[in-house]
Amino acid sequence: MRVKKDAASITFDVIKYILLVICSVACVLPFIIIISGSLSDNSVILRKGYSIWPRSFTWNAYATVFQAPQDILQAYKMTLYYTVAGTALGLMMITLTAYVISRKEFKYRNTISFLIYFTSIFGGGMVPWYLMYTNVLNLKGSTIPIWFPALMSPFLIIIMRTFITGAVPDAITESAKIDGAGHFTIFTRIVAPVLSPGLATVGLFLALGYWNDWYRSSMFSTGSDTWALQFYLYNLLNATQALRQMSQNTSISTANLPTQTVKLAMAVIATGPVLLFYPFVQKYFVSGITVGAVKG
Amino acid sequence: MLQKRILSLLTVACLAISLMACARSDTPTGGGQAAQSSEAVTQEQTAAVPEAVISEPAAAADPVANQERVDLVFYVMGDPPKDQKVVEDAINEKLLEKLNATVTFQFSTWTDFQQKYANELTSGNSDLIYIANWLNYGQLSAAGAFLELDDLLDQYAPELKDLAGESMLNQCRVDGELFAIPNLWPEYVPSGISYRVDLAEKYNLPRPDSLENAEAYFNGIKDNEPEQPLLRVTSEESQGVTVGFDAAHILNLKYPWVGVNGLAYGLTADYETPQDLYDYWASDDFAEDCKLLKRWSDMGFWSKSALSDTNDVDSYKNGLCIAIPAGQNPNKHITNMNDFALLHPDWKTEYITYGEITGAIYPGHATQNGTAVVRASKYPERAVQALNYFMTDKEMNRLVQAGIEGVHYEIADGVYHNLSSDSPQPFPYEGFNSWNLRVTKFKLLQETDVELNKLFQEYGVMAQKTKFPNVNIAQGFSENYDDYQAERAAVQNIIKQYLAPLQAGFVDDVDAAVEEFRSQVKAAGLEKCQENYSRQWLDYCDEYGYK
Repeated sequence: MRVKKDAASITFDVIKYILLVICSVACVLPFIIIISGSLSDNSVILRKGYSIWPRSFTWNAYATVFQAPQDILQAYKMTLYYTVAGTALGLMMITLTAYVISRKEFKYRNTISFLIYFTSIFGGGMVPWYLMYTNVLNLKGSTIPIWFPALMSPFLIIIMRTFITGAVPDAITESAKIDGAGHFTIFTRIVAPVLSPGLATVGLFLALGYWNDWYRSSMFSTGSDTWALQFYLYNLLNATQALRQMSQNTSISTANLPTQTVKLAMAVIATGPVLLFYPFVQKYFVSGITVGAVKG
Repeated sequence: MLQKRILSLLTVACLAISLMACARSDTPTGGGQAAQSSEAVTQEQTAAVPEAVISEPAAAADPVANQERVDLVFYVMGDPPKDQKVVEDAINEKLLEKLNATVTFQFSTWTDFQQKYANELTSGNSDLIYIANWLNYGQLSAAGAFLELDDLLDQYAPELKDLAGESMLNQCRVDGELFAIPNLWPEYVPSGISYRVDLAEKYNLPRPDSLENAEAYFNGIKDNEPEQPLLRVTSEESQGVTVGFDAAHILNLKYPWVGVNGLAYGLTADYETPQDLYDYWASDDFAEDCKLLKRWSDMGFWSKSALSDTNDVDSYKNGLCIAIPAGQNPNKHITNMNDFALLHPDWKTEYITYGEITGAIYPGHATQNGTAVVRASKYPERAVQALNYFMTDKEMNRLVQAGIEGVHYEIADGVYHNLSSDSPQPFPYEGFNSWNLRVTKFKLLQETDVELNKLFQEYGVMAQKTKFPNVNIAQGFSENYDDYQAERAAVQNIIKQYLAPLQAGFVDDVDAAVEEFRSQVKAAGLEKCQENYSRQWLDYCDEYGYK
């Protein structure tokens, strides 16, 4: 038997669906326009503007990009490396730190926690940070300053500590201790197995941070072989802009700057694989975040 | 317990301090002028650059064998060329032989380059560095970012000193000290108007070489081809404190000003009399000009949405406009010619510089592209020697500028041809972005340069007739607005808000709008800006003898 809906709930449904449709269109439309733009003819875009369906279909932009694909592939490779290495190492260090400062028997845990927390409200600023990596540690040009600085953040350590405190009651670790387990055993056999939602949450934050980062590539790279993907793309836009301005005052060639459609094609190539990949892992991300939240 | 309290007190104190610091650095910039704040940072940082330790000058004539090997870093702007390594190796082979030194080019990329340039000077990891007036050469030199070069040149690079010549070097002096070696290729970049000469011929219209003729030209095309858009003007080429809307650049046809669109804050002077500053915004001319622009706007010379449009470099070649009055120069004119030849062989473009009409024509200033030695450089004398080698040796200069002959380029009929553009590892012309190492007698001519040189010769003849032959007075001046940053930002906002629509003709009553603009800009602190600017400008003119 079907329950008959009253007028109010029908109206509610209608409004609900209209709003949802508007929201999803607003999310999807930019992507469609990027894809359609990348498949259009540059001069047509200039004359008639962007459209949902390409007005004159052509693969030219992709052909231009794939004439020399090694740059984009190298940038992809570096971003993957930074993301995987950074996330794995970062997770390990964050979890270990969080475990230590969550143990009640550690005498200086409040002081250490405070020192960690302190860095989140008071930092040395950009220039000392830069000088530290370039002049003191002499790391400019290597890949280390690109992934190292983001390994740990006070915010993530605090999330993790809270999570460990909540997920593993003191009684359990205490009884393990009585049975003769050391800290290493307690951590690997008792704490780590229940941590997966926490790891997913923190790992997601870390991985997204690495994937989206361009700033450290910009600061510390001395050659294009260490550039992350986001920086490669961002710099492309900036180069177009800067050369255009410069060419006002000095004779330089601006003939080979990428056109609109080439830029769009690059955006598709850069984001495409992630877009395809995301729906498959999304459910883990979501469950990771919510599990952590509800238990609180 | 007590410990905890002390800790939390400390935290609060730190927070308060950092908040205060933020508030202080935020207030003067006000209008969100990111460029300004980064300039301010630049200054603070460079002030902290440690005093250089100039090592005892080893006798210049020392045989190479006695010198220890050093690795120099040359910091340049922009993105690296693909074949950087190969060319660098070839350069270093020669450098090792002659100076027992190597050089590595380091690139700023075009992202955040002003910040990174400042960082580079602070960290002092490079030895030679590209300088330009748009990178605040004047202010940075005054703040002590670069090394004084007079003695170093005498001792280590006498050839370079002779080649450059006193008058070029003098243009790079700041407070009497020499901090940079300019590029040695006099280059004319006079602003002007590009227009479709084929259309003018077809409909028998005048050249747009005066405001009346320009109006007749635009109207003629509008009458004959009503569908053809006339001007694609926006406010993108008008970002400073002189002008609000790109179409207003065409007013340069009327005034022999010392700089394009005048100087700043409405102040301007004629090229022949740079010290006689006058206030253009307060003048009747200004109101008249606004009425002219309003008339053009009403006649539909540009789109009603011009102020929110974005500029597109490709509009001219795609037929979206039939003239460009702003942001053009001879080099771009050549690019336009080539584009037309490729896309529309029946179209023809011509270029009229504003200077050739008004008589105020001059090349780019010496500080447009130059090289300096970073103050913290460990090997200043070797850096100067290397620079000397780069700029006075024909083979070396061509190697740095164009790569390896036979691999990256060839010379056919006296013209440079790139051989590597289709290879996976190309090295383009001036691949190291070393515009600062251009030397006239070594410079390889690209195809476009042949045409360009013809124009330059014409301009050179005209420039000789001016009172200050071949000096770009306005470009050599660098304003220091630390004391009135807030007012400057406010004035800039008023320009965007009031001057731009006024010059775009989007007002009903021009006289009322002119008055409104004058009172608003005055309230924003125009007088303080003008006062300071005039003082600095007159000092500058005195220092360099522009009377």
